[in-house]
This record gives sequence, structure tokens and C-alpha cells, in this order.
Amino acid sequence: MEDLSNPTAQNNQQNTEKPANQTLGIAALITAIITFVMAVIPCIGVIAIIPGIIAIVLAAVGLSQASRNDSPRGLLLAGMIIGVVASLLAFSQIFFTGRIISHSDRWGREIQNVVKDVRKDVLKDLEDANISIKVQNGDEEVEITTSIDRKDREQTLEELEKGNVPANDSLDKKK
Amino acid sequence: MTPWIKRNDRGNKPGIRIFDEPYLVINIFFTGVIVLIIAYSCFFSPEKDNYPVQCIHEKITGKPCPSCGLSHSFSLILRGRIDEAYDWNGKGMTVFIFFVSQLIMRILFSWIFIRHQSVRKQLMMFDIIGSSVLFLITFTPFIVYILRF
Repeated sequence: MEDLSNPTAQNNQQNTEKPANQTLGIAALITAIITFVMAVIPCIGVIAIIPGIIAIVLAAVGLSQASRNDSPRGLLLAGMIIGVVASLLAFSQIFFTGRIISHSDRWGREIQNVVKDVRKDVLKDLEDANISIKVQNGDEEVEITTSIDRKDREQTLEELEKGNVPANDSLDKKK
Repeated sequence: MTPWIKRNDRGNKPGIRIFDEPYLVINIFFTGVIVLIIAYSCFFSPEKDNYPVQCIHEKITGKPCPSCGLSHSFSLILRGRIDEAYDWNGKGMTVFIFFVSQLIMRILFSWIFIRHQSVRKQLMMFDIIGSSVLFLITFTPFIVYILRF
């Protein structure tokens, strides 16, 4: 086993750990920058959470190692900061997507309202129309004429209440 | 074995080890990433429409987002069909120029880093600031779109 009380052995240990920290720092920084670029592209922003977490983990591991052996931590800090900011941006994409979903619900409701309005308008237009149905069977011909005019309907209702025959609707039987 | 980049003028002392310099490693990695992006755009064809990445927002809302059609746009730019590229995504050219400029910067700055050791700090500062400014100029419309919601 290596004797760490020996200064040469300590030096050897530092020499092996320094590149490891540096490698972690480089990996963290690269991953963080890639996450940052991905996070600002709306199409793939949500996916950026994965490399973002990887970058933070790499930087955190590197920082804990660096604090143990007092090695430089500039790269690790840069990786950590960019990684955190990029991950926040990527996380914001989830809320962004949620907002879009809620907006799309609202768009659906808006479309339903438009359809309702159109339906109302059509019915309003049809209110004053006269409907005539003619059925012909050989010599026999039956014609049903009716009006769905609101005023007529009110009048018919009043006449019905009085006991009169509706004036507007008629059933003509011709031969 | 760690590759040696350059020996000094006398030729008897070793110069820079690529993997000992984080800046060079980062530059090499990003060069690779950008080359992969270009290869992706070359490989997938706008005619066949066989791109593996699909927009989540377009799937949900049916409305395209500002980054929709970027892959098509890149592929068309690489095939020289610039007008069609603009039709697919108006910002496609800007983003493409950003990636190409980054590719050139990575190669050029790595070369300067190796050749002129006295200006390394200034070079790295210039790189960080320049790349950040370019990034902001390129991706501001997307950031604004994200923050607008």
C-alpha cells in the first residue's frame, strides 16, 4: 500500500487526481454548453434537461474532489454555473410546454365558441324563413307550408291559447 | 500515448500536449459536434423528410415554433437551395452561419493558441465574449419566444 506520509507519494497522488479533476471539469463544461444551446431551441429544449443534470453531477463530483486535494476549480465552477443556468432554461421549457398545452385547451374552447356563434347566426337567419314540403303520389299531392318566424310562433301560441286554428301553418290537399 | 503538437524552434524540447490543455480539448470536441451537425444535415434529405427529431410544440398545438424547420433549412443550405431554406425557417441561415463561424473559430483559435503562447489569456477572453455575443445575436428570437409565454 502506498505510504501517503511520504511527500513523494503525496505528490504522485496529486498528479493522478489533478488530471481527473480537469477531465471532469472539461466534461462538465462541454455538457453544460451543449445543454445551453439545446435549451434555447424550443423544439428540443425539454430534452436538454438530461445533459443539464449530467453537467451538474460531473461538476459537483469534480468540485468535491478538488476541495479534497486543493486543485484548481475554475473549469468546474464554469461548468457548474453554465450547467445550472442551462438546466433552469431547460426546466423552463417544461412550464413553457405546459403553458402551450393550456393555451391549446383555450384555443379548443375558442373554436367551440366560434362554432356556437356560427350556429346561432345560422339559426337566427333561418328564423324568418318559410318552409314548404310538397309530397306527390300519383295524382295526389300534399303540401305542408310552415313558417318558423318568431313573431308568427308567438301569434300562433296566442291563437292556440284562444282556441283558434293556427293561421300560418296550412295543409293543402289537392287532387 | 499523448500526442505532441509541436516542438519548439530548436526541435529538442516538446511543445503542447493536446489533452493537457482544456481549451484545446473543448475546441476539438465542439469542432466534432459541429461537424456532426453538418453531417446530420447532409445525411437526412428534405425530399424524403426522414428527420428523426420532431417538434414537441408542433405536435401538441399544431402550430410551428420558431425553431421548426431548422433541420430542413440546414439541409437545403448545404445543398445550395437558399430560397427554399428561407421558406422552411427564416432564422435557419443565421443559426447555420453561427455554427459555421464557431467551426472556423474553433480551428483558428486552436491554431493561435498553439502558435502564440503569449496571447493565450487574451485569446480565451476574446473567444468567450465573442462567442457569447454571437450566441445572443443568433438565439435571441428563440429566447424571446420562450420567455414570451
